[in-house]
Amino acid sequence: MRLRCPLCGERDRREFTYKGAAVALDRPATEAWSADWDDYLHNRANPAGETRDLWQHAAGCGAWLVVTRDTVTHSIADVRLARGEGTA
Amino acid sequence: MSPCAGLLPLRSGTVRLAEVDPGRITSLMPGPGQAAALDRALSETHGLGWPAPGQAILSQRGGVVWTGLDQAMLMGPAPDPALARHAALTDQSDAWAVADLSGGDGPEVLARLVPVDLRPQAFAEGATARTLLGHMTASITRTGPETLRIMVFRSMARTLVHDLHAAMDAVAARRGLDAGGPPR
Amino acid sequence: MRFSGFRVLREGLTGNRGWAPHWRDPEPKSDYDVVIVGGGGHGLATAFYLAKEHGITNVAVLEKGYLGGGNVGRNTTIVRANYFLPGNSEFYSHSLKLWEGMEEELNFNVMHSQRGLINLFHSDGQRDAFARRGNAMVNQGDDAILLDREGVRKLLPYLDFENTRFPIYGGLYHPRGGTARHDAVAWGYARGADARGVDLIQNCEVTGIDVEQGRVTGVQTTRGAIRAKKVAIVVAGRSSQVAAMAGLRLPIESHVLQAFVTEGLKPVIDHVVSFGMGHFYISQSDKGGLVFGGDLDFYASYAARGNLPMVEHVMEAGMTLMPMIGKAKVLRSWGGIMDMTPDGSPIIDRAPVAGLYLNCGWCYGGFKAVPGSGFSFAHLIATDRHHPPAARYRLDRFATGRGLMDEEGTGAQHNLH
Ligand SMILES: Cc1cc2nc3c(=O)[nH]c(=O)nc-3n(C[C@H](O)[C@H](O)[C@H](O)COP(=O)(O)OP(=O)(O)OC[C@H]3O[C@@H](n4cnc5c(N)ncnc54)[C@H](O)[C@@H]3O)c2cc1C
Ligand SMILES: [Zn+2]
Repeated sequence: MRLRCPLCGERDRREFTYKGAAVALDRPATEAWSADWDDYLHNRANPAGETRDLWQHAAGCGAWLVVTRDTVTHSIADVRLARGEGTA
Repeated sequence: MSPCAGLLPLRSGTVRLAEVDPGRITSLMPGPGQAAALDRALSETHGLGWPAPGQAILSQRGGVVWTGLDQAMLMGPAPDPALARHAALTDQSDAWAVADLSGGDGPEVLARLVPVDLRPQAFAEGATARTLLGHMTASITRTGPETLRIMVFRSMARTLVHDLHAAMDAVAARRGLDAGGPPR
Repeated sequence: MRFSGFRVLREGLTGNRGWAPHWRDPEPKSDYDVVIVGGGGHGLATAFYLAKEHGITNVAVLEKGYLGGGNVGRNTTIVRANYFLPGNSEFYSHSLKLWEGMEEELNFNVMHSQRGLINLFHSDGQRDAFARRGNAMVNQGDDAILLDREGVRKLLPYLDFENTRFPIYGGLYHPRGGTARHDAVAWGYARGADARGVDLIQNCEVTGIDVEQGRVTGVQTTRGAIRAKKVAIVVAGRSSQVAAMAGLRLPIESHVLQAFVTEGLKPVIDHVVSFGMGHFYISQSDKGGLVFGGDLDFYASYAARGNLPMVEHVMEAGMTLMPMIGKAKVLRSWGGIMDMTPDGSPIIDRAPVAGLYLNCGWCYGGFKAVPGSGFSFAHLIATDRHHPPAARYRLDRFATGRGLMDEEGTGAQHNLH
């Protein structure tokens, strides 16, 4: 699997570190505990198919990336900088 | 003592590996919204500029080498104090081992260790990559038609030389076999 | 049909013509008391114990492929009870005891071999942690012996003890740990369940869960609708998809884990060796193949094959631990899809839909759990009460923060286990 970093170009999977589902970008608006927080922290759609998740180009430019990809075929649809995405 | 003292230079086949004295190394990170101003300041004070991702602005005395998101290294001169108005600066002169790999087979050697295409047609003069060299994080810049400048953390100097030496020997051996084999 | 020495001898002398299929291949009925979704180790063991311990035999196991084609037939077969935290300790202790009686209970040779497991350590800090873990194991009633370097050398003389990065300081020895023949475990439970009247229905994928007024009423499948009073989801890596059919979002991410086997070699590795610092472990199968594996590929995936960087990593770790392994030729590698929870521990619980039960989140360690999980899950389905050794495997522990079981101490966060 190779990812096309918007800054560095297409790079080997070894250069990237995985964080998890991109829900991490959408922090609940309220500070008080609610089901939204449980969903944000723990529960996952975990789709077999298209997913959005967060990766860091750790051995490259260091940028956090939002990757849209297929969890079954490993094909990559889109890679963009996480900066400016989501609410967090 | 320099990071590669006693280890370099080395030659194997057509490729040579030599330590480079980089002068001062200063990492620059522009303040929020300051990239354009820093670009101007680098131009006015050092005749350089703020590089695009994957680019190095090279000069006789060094240059500015992009090394990551919002980050570049000023190589060579001490930074002009005016830069500090637009960027955070950190002296990293002692933190890196720097070596030049020169010779036409340089990309061939690094192909064994680096997951990036470094041939001149894909990686022209002034191109730079932050990537892996074996297990080490590295910065690699093409500074000349047949020269690739490699930077790794200073503590990795011996591993760098060891890994590159093995790759250089392997490429040389492969060339030797080619040369001695049946005519093609 | 029962196995016995006499029977094997007689069949051998008469051309092995007397063996019959081990289980029926029934058509699904329209109605069951309990439908179990997933014919892996856990689903089959659950069916077996529902019938044997609770007399509930109007049960179907629905398997979308063939029995044992999932992770139960893909794992590296390590069976152990060396957990540290309350909740896990008593559960795996109970499960290992069931393993020790399994072959008699099932009248089936699962090749359970208690050859001993050694977890290596490489620093004083790790030694201290392993001493603590060993004490917890002993207090749980299981076995653990802290070995120094020479103690390890006696058992595993072929390791590189002087490795610069990971010098071997010693190991935690768990003599009752070992391996088993993975598919045999599925087959043994399948045969036992079938013999007690359970319908094992293969090539039957569940495509929907019927819920009426908050209560489950049955399932939709590729072989038609089936009504059920209770539905139990035991589908390992596919847990999120099947639970979503009932409108649930689970605290699970699916990840691929790879394994490798070499060509058959003469006996050389007598134990199970675990090199945690390199994320590498190895044993030798009775056929002679070195069976080894490493860590997850570490990104959500349903592609049961895996990527090359992890292959490279595992090979490097193997070479670090025992350079002699460089001479062995790898025959095959494969992957399985793991249901990972935030704290690395599983879930055996009622779902928030009446009549729906969840058994998932076994991560990369659910093979050893097969008997314990089946036993405890059957208890929960039959009685609607948690079975004490599995009482802490609650679905709501993430929401409440109460009773998290994070063996690695890295926090209850996805992708850290
Ligand atoms: C490479 C590898 C190494 C491992 N090593 C070990 C080890 O050494 N020790 C250990 O303890 N554990 C190990 N494990 C983990 C262990 O194998 C699993 O945790 C355990 O097998 C999961 O439970 P199961 O047997 O029920 O799963 P599975 O065998 O995967 O059963 C789930 C079944 O559900 C079926 N299914 C899915 N969706 C549907 C549907 N919609 N309808 C009908 N059926 C469906 C699947 O086809 C599958 O057969 C390893 C796993 C892997 C992949
Ligand atoms: Zn990048």
